[in-house]
Amino acid sequence: MALNILVVDDSAVMRKMIIKTMGMCGLPIGEIKQAANGREGLEELGKNWIDIVILDINMPVMNGEEMIDEMKQDPEIKDIPVIVISTEGSSTRIDRLKEKGARFIQKPFTPEMIRDTIYEVTGVGEGDER
Amino acid sequence: MRDKMDKVISKVVTETIEKLVFMFASLYDPENSTEEDPDIGVSVSFTGPFSGTLCMKVSGEVLSEIAVNMLGVDDEDEITLDDMNDALKETVNVICGNVLPVIGGKEAVFNIGSPEIIPEGEDLKGSDGEELASDVKLSLDEGRCDLVLFVNGKIPEVVE
Repeated sequence: MALNILVVDDSAVMRKMIIKTMGMCGLPIGEIKQAANGREGLEELGKNWIDIVILDINMPVMNGEEMIDEMKQDPEIKDIPVIVISTEGSSTRIDRLKEKGARFIQKPFTPEMIRDTIYEVTGVGEGDER
Repeated sequence: MRDKMDKVISKVVTETIEKLVFMFASLYDPENSTEEDPDIGVSVSFTGPFSGTLCMKVSGEVLSEIAVNMLGVDDEDEITLDDMNDALKETVNVICGNVLPVIGGKEAVFNIGSPEIIPEGEDLKGSDGEELASDVKLSLDEGRCDLVLFVNGKIPEVVE
């Protein structure tokens, strides 16, 4: 099963870095969509079939936490797994994100952290058929 | 107290740079170094239990290397100026996110603003009312990297 992934981060370089890292992990990746903030992310979710959302927190227009809250209000997208990749270091805020069902990876990340977290939430990993 | 703050920040920055941009950092030794002063700066402001500004300046060679390593490209010519500025902003953002919990404690909630490039020729400075809390100079593989932390009000004691 190839995974369609939406990467939401206001830094274009960080989006490229995350996409490149996922490719290095040997994950079966289908289509990758990108968005620069939570509002654009929701628009992409409305237009495309997405299996996983990779999400930053501190972004202009709509931050990552607000995007998760909006997703939870929509029955069509509320169950899409969300992996937050952020600079956030506050355990208070990280716990709050986890209570909303998101997985959390702190920047800087390693390829293994991304690979293992995607495997945990989807059961899809390295070596699965593309 | 400045010494302790400088040591903690040096350690966090060194680890973050190594993991994020795959560059090794060591404390700058002015007596045994010919590295030129860094000239490309970026700053990021934050609010929370204490507020302030974290500024970073790097040399041109370091900036190129950061962008090349973050994007994983082989050829420096593939990198645009926008890529380099974006890479520098993201680097200071990640450093700030890793430094603040070490100073303010893991439970403290900070709001980190959007990083901004400092116009060429301008010195590193905080916003009005902010005072110098830390000044760290590092040598990376390709050149210098200076970090300066300005804090508004009482300089916090390092929690770690």
